[in-house]
Amino acid sequence: MTALTIDRINKRYGNLHILKDISIPIAKGEFVSLLGPSGCGKTTTLRCIAGFERPDDGSILFGNRDVTRTLPEQRDIGMVFQSYALFPHMTVAENLSFGLEVRKVSVPDRQKRIADVLAMVRLEGYDKRFPRELSGGQQQRVALARALVIEPSVLLLDEPLANLDATLRDEMRFFIRDLQQRVGITSIYVTHDQAEAMVMSDKIVVMSAGTISQFGSPREIYERPASQSVAGFIGRSNTISGKIAEALGQDSYKVDTPCGSIGTTGPAGLAKGAEVKIMIRPENIHTRKQCVGAGQKQEAGSGEAGKDENVLAGAVVNSVYQGSANQLAVKLASGDRVTVDVNGRNPLDVGEQVALRFAASDTWLLAS
Amino acid sequence: MSALEAVPRIESRSNRGSATWMVVPALVLLIGFFALPYLTIITMSLREASTRAVYGEGLTLSHYTTALGDFYIWGILGRTLLIGATVTVLSLLLGYPVAYHLAKSRSRWTSLLYIFVLSPLLVGLVVRTFAWMIILSNNGVANQALKAIGLITFPLQLMNNSLGVTIALTHVFLPFIILPLLGNLQAISPDLAMASRSLGASRMRTFWKVTLPLSMPGIQAGTILVFVLSISAYVTPAMLGGTGGRTMSVLVVQYLVDNFRWPAGAALAIIMAAVAVMFVGLYLKLTARAMRRLP
Amino acid sequence: MTGASCGVEKTIWDRLFTSLVAAIYIFLMFPIVLVVLLSFNSGEFLAFPLEGFSLRWFEALFSNKRFLDATLYSIQIAAVSTIVNGVIGTLAAIYVARYAKVARDFMRLIMTAPLLVPEILTAIALLFYFYEIRIGTDYSIGIQIGHIVVTFPYVFLNVSSALFNFDRSQEEAARSLGASGWMTFRRVTLPAIKPGIITGCLFAFVISFDIFNISLLLKSLGKNTLPLELFDYLRFNFDPTAAAIASLSIFMTFTAILIIDRTVGLRSLRF
Repeated sequence: MTALTIDRINKRYGNLHILKDISIPIAKGEFVSLLGPSGCGKTTTLRCIAGFERPDDGSILFGNRDVTRTLPEQRDIGMVFQSYALFPHMTVAENLSFGLEVRKVSVPDRQKRIADVLAMVRLEGYDKRFPRELSGGQQQRVALARALVIEPSVLLLDEPLANLDATLRDEMRFFIRDLQQRVGITSIYVTHDQAEAMVMSDKIVVMSAGTISQFGSPREIYERPASQSVAGFIGRSNTISGKIAEALGQDSYKVDTPCGSIGTTGPAGLAKGAEVKIMIRPENIHTRKQCVGAGQKQEAGSGEAGKDENVLAGAVVNSVYQGSANQLAVKLASGDRVTVDVNGRNPLDVGEQVALRFAASDTWLLAS
Repeated sequence: MSALEAVPRIESRSNRGSATWMVVPALVLLIGFFALPYLTIITMSLREASTRAVYGEGLTLSHYTTALGDFYIWGILGRTLLIGATVTVLSLLLGYPVAYHLAKSRSRWTSLLYIFVLSPLLVGLVVRTFAWMIILSNNGVANQALKAIGLITFPLQLMNNSLGVTIALTHVFLPFIILPLLGNLQAISPDLAMASRSLGASRMRTFWKVTLPLSMPGIQAGTILVFVLSISAYVTPAMLGGTGGRTMSVLVVQYLVDNFRWPAGAALAIIMAAVAVMFVGLYLKLTARAMRRLP
Repeated sequence: MTGASCGVEKTIWDRLFTSLVAAIYIFLMFPIVLVVLLSFNSGEFLAFPLEGFSLRWFEALFSNKRFLDATLYSIQIAAVSTIVNGVIGTLAAIYVARYAKVARDFMRLIMTAPLLVPEILTAIALLFYFYEIRIGTDYSIGIQIGHIVVTFPYVFLNVSSALFNFDRSQEEAARSLGASGWMTFRRVTLPAIKPGIITGCLFAFVISFDIFNISLLLKSLGKNTLPLELFDYLRFNFDPTAAAIASLSIFMTFTAILIIDRTVGLRSLRF
């Protein structure tokens, strides 16, 4: 059952078309991230869901209740802001009580729910404090508690971790995700941080320039990006240009490139001769030192390279030590540069010849 | 020259000695021609009256005792305070909506509206009071308009009394409450109102429970400013008040300029200032409760 | 974009509120507009209906030597106040922002105090003081000093706020590039705080031009500033010539406001 349906909403400010036909179905209990660079429309989408903006057309449904024309206070939402937006003149308990008073919850009930939610965010004993007496992380948890204590039908989070320092941010990602799963609340999370979206979400909506570039699970988006811009935005990637030589199966193709023929995986239905880009993630490429003069063929034929394994020759042009790994820049025969992660313990030196091996199943074709 | 060199020094400690000259002229001006002169009001109020000079030889407290025993002066003091309080309440009621609207406004007219608020402040007091004379006089615009729509047949007495002074002073000092309130309201994050709405509070409730409490510092600053300004105003009551709207300032200036009773005038001025300080102190105490929870 | 009611249709309450605010704006502007309208009215009385456009009251004004003298006197006093405060107010603001360590709060207080106490009290204090130190009111010196004292905080506050908003690492960058202290001040700091100085000076000029209480008590005999002259005139006359003077003063104020708005923006004003 869809808990929340966004159906073809549009939003314009004068000549600016901020949202173009945005549609997102969200299942009950799902954690969905809206991910994209600033100005892509993710915050406007969230504000439309909250009711602080009204879309020019299209509709928004909570369950099967159409809320498109209702005020924010009538929607039954919980919202967490980047600035936390805790009421500075109220104590933690009064902040939490605010939404319950509006809902006319009885005093004993109120006290119980506040105590419960404070325990849930591990802030027992902080009820008499003012927000200014709390650390950033604690304020964030109060903001979360205030949104959850009213048991809303949807939880909206607008870059809630952007003001925290790096260590705390990592901690809070898991804290929020864990809490969300325990409560089982449908959540929409706006962020520009792809790592955050990856670790927290059931589904990610990648947005750019007011449109949805891709909607899918983190795995789909990482391994099967819909376009080069999605591939570039989520994690690091290499691309090699080529042309489809033949289709080997429903989703596997042989692609001709300046470095030779490469076996690849890609979306179904690509025509022979179509210009494509082969995307390979740096961590999916394996290297082997190659003796100068040793042919590619010999290397390719030696042993464990499977049937769908590709081998390319290249020279190391740069090597950066990163602790757990070494990041290599390798120049291919075609002149393309690819980035490769190798184990930090047996480094390769600049100038060395290497063989790059990667499985066809680890590639993905992007339309050019 | 070393003095000029000292102006922009970043390593202030080593050059502090040579930078002192920068503040000397201002201190000379403000101590010599502001702080010290205030002391002479006190000394003047203690001097004996004289018929031949502005004051006589000896010292006396009689000006205070005479003034405090005079029902006429008590009456004028009471009227001054009443006008001050009324003007303060009216300007809060009229100023808050404007400040609120201006703080929320995002239109391209905002800048023009800001000019509307600011410009009365910069137009001279005599000019603005004169404008109110045109409006409030017996044949004035207000009476003309009321006659034209048939509400009255005889002109209403709108000036030469407290009413006219109150109306004009409210107009004159309205910007002084709008500006501090505006600064205060703009400093309140719009996220707070949105958070309140997201928790289910209506706009009314959001205003009463969130915005209004958080704008208390602006209300406090603005009301004190307007109160102090309106009880000490001279031009407007002098031009519009007549005898029916005479205030303390008008009386003091009459003592000083028309009657040459400087010591008695000084005592009146000090009584007026003391009463103002008392009222502001009382007000601060009363509003402290509302401000207690604010950061 | 961030208003709480943004993007949501206007309710009846919104409309009522907007009308109320509009009415208050009219209340604010109406008297000023009225004076200007009546100063161009050809009729004999300061009343409606308007009879026709005419410059006769301005002619009457410019052929009146007393008003001309008063205008020139006001300009003179305002100009001197502006120049003196432009220099000593700016210097004091830099000193308090940069160098004052021990008495900073006290200095801030005394530098803004003339704004915090009623002008009439300052005028009375100066009247007594000048008498006691035997300067009296025989010369323009008393009234001039009074104007300088009362307008001082406007320059001080506007320059202080410009200094507060100025990022000092720019000065450090200039020094690191080899600029001397004086050069850094002239090429980096001064241009950055110039808007504050200009605003403060324009403000000081306009306020000095309008000040009444100080002028009333400290003027020397027979020398009136324009507000005083208008005040005296209105005791015995109530005709559109007064409106013409008022109009002139209003035009001057609006010119200053426009200059500030076009150059540095009105929102930077401090008082």
